[in-house]
Amino acid sequence: MTDPVLRVRGLTRRFGGVVAVGDVDLDIAPGERRAVLGPNGAGKSTLFNLIAGADTPTSGSIELFGADVTSSGARQRTRQGLSRTFQTSRLLTGLTVEDNLYLAAIGVDGGRFRLVRTGRDRAARERARRTAASVGMADRLKTLAGDLSHGEQRQLEIGLALVAEPRMLLLDEPAAGLSRAERQLLTALLLSLDRDVTLLLIEHDMDVALTVAERVTMMHDGVVIVEGTPAEIRADQRVHDLYLGKAHV
Amino acid sequence: MTNRLQTLGTRGALAVVLVVLALVPVVCTTFFTSQVGLTSLWLGIVAVSLTFLSGYGGMVSLAQTALFGVAGLVTARLSVESGWDPWAAALVGILAATAVGLLFGAVASGSQGIYFLIITLAFAQVAYFYFAAVPTFGAHEGINGVRPPAVLGDPVQDPARMYWFLLAVSVLVFLGLRHVSRTAFGLALQGVRDDPVRMAALGYNVRLHRILGFTLAAPVAGAAGVLSAWSNTRMSAGSISLAIAILVLTAAVIGGLNRLEGAWVGALLYTLCDTYLRGWTDRFTTWLGVVFLVIVLVSPGGVVGLVSSAATWLRRRLPGGSAPPAVPSAPAPPVPVSSGGAR
Ligand SMILES: Nc1ncnc2c1ncn2[C@@H]1O[C@H](COP(=O)(O)OP(=O)(O)O)[C@@H](O)[C@H]1O
Ligand SMILES: [Mg+2]
Repeated sequence: MTDPVLRVRGLTRRFGGVVAVGDVDLDIAPGERRAVLGPNGAGKSTLFNLIAGADTPTSGSIELFGADVTSSGARQRTRQGLSRTFQTSRLLTGLTVEDNLYLAAIGVDGGRFRLVRTGRDRAARERARRTAASVGMADRLKTLAGDLSHGEQRQLEIGLALVAEPRMLLLDEPAAGLSRAERQLLTALLLSLDRDVTLLLIEHDMDVALTVAERVTMMHDGVVIVEGTPAEIRADQRVHDLYLGKAHV
Repeated sequence: MTNRLQTLGTRGALAVVLVVLALVPVVCTTFFTSQVGLTSLWLGIVAVSLTFLSGYGGMVSLAQTALFGVAGLVTARLSVESGWDPWAAALVGILAATAVGLLFGAVASGSQGIYFLIITLAFAQVAYFYFAAVPTFGAHEGINGVRPPAVLGDPVQDPARMYWFLLAVSVLVFLGLRHVSRTAFGLALQGVRDDPVRMAALGYNVRLHRILGFTLAAPVAGAAGVLSAWSNTRMSAGSISLAIAILVLTAAVIGGLNRLEGAWVGALLYTLCDTYLRGWTDRFTTWLGVVFLVIVLVSPGGVVGLVSSAATWLRRRLPGGSAPPAVPSAPAPPVPVSSGGAR
């Protein structure tokens, strides 16, 4: 078996008395498509924040691409090839779509402090435009991110994660608030991602999650309840009781 | 095509404004050139260092007068007491202000919003009390008899050359800051203004960007301090009191925090009021406060924002005038505490 790109051991995060994430183990293989499911408050976003380095665990360890990153910050993990989206869009609202993507491109490549325009800028600009096209925003390049519709903001959110060509992608409820048509586009985009990219996806929408994912991790109250293939998850009684039952009534 | 026309139009308008401004010493009285002209130019330069920080970096700093004072007083001290060449003294003064700016930035950059405002207010106060107490810098008396470089002439008797010099520096500062705002560094600074968490997730060192942004604005404030010392041939702790720090903020807000040029517009309006209204009423400060309040309430983009909205409105009304999309006017802060937006 190949070494996992992400290995999480005994990961715990407490907020006062609340155990948001409790003793979670997780192994993600290179190129895997994994979905994390669970009702609201299950600890999915907290788990993502810990993996991305936006939050510090109370205990446990995180290994990324074979190196222990438990104590390194979000910035370092991004430079190593980890990208994430946020459950609630976090965009640079005062800048255009193209500038958002451009900054995302050079955030990893370097040139963040440059005070002149150089040839390398052209390459990053070109990459920004290509990414905009791949998330369906080619005609919105000059629009301010703050002026986009909700659906477009979600698209840009994914574009920001993709433009740096990450090795591992964390998507926190990318389909939240999208229309049916937009969900289908999103599913197609996720299915078309390069196999070199490992995908970890939180999703409330079962159609998107179970279509894209090969394996599913089910969380509840901060702990992993069950892990398996989409078919196994659909068949699992605990999942039905906890989640499918409620979500589909 | 329309874009190019618009750019040409903007350039043309800018050129006309510059020609008019350059004619001031020729057309106007010595008193006007010196009292209104010189003052609004150096006040505009220190104000634009705040406009830049606030608009592009989301940092509303009250410490710009402290940096202004460091440069001005170091320059005055070196040229009057130590007999340095004015240019050399100015260079050292501006470098000193930049170093202090780096220090201030390093301390303040960990805070945001109102906390940032309070920390920079503390810097302003520390600088004031320091210069008011230390005999090397003339203590309360300050340093008199500062001589500007001979080539700039006598700023009191014949302020024309000094005026043109200040105008040239203003144009350079404006173009320089506008250039920075369009570079990778400047865009990233605006990104940090909009969402620091996102910028960290994109691989940016948010704090370092804030520190460097703050440091970059320091020599601008410093240059204004030198030009003020030269224009007035003196500088003292009183030149950087809390009242002056607030005046700079007022000028920047009146002009409009989301456009660099707003700083000079605000400085000019303030200086005009200060020169001609102060004699009319002994409630000058109250009236200024009222004007400030009205502008902030009516137009968050300040006078510049007001003018550009009016221009858009007019263009739409004029027969045959197609309405080009308005210059995107960023959501400016209703009160100068939150971060503004500029582009
Ligand atoms: N910053 C925080 N401070 C306090 N409690 C938090 C914080 N973030 C999350 N929580 C709590 O942790 C639990 C898990 O939240 P979250 O990870 O957002 O769940 P999910 O994303 O699965 O809906 C919830 O009970 C939530 O209230
Ligand atoms: Mg969540």
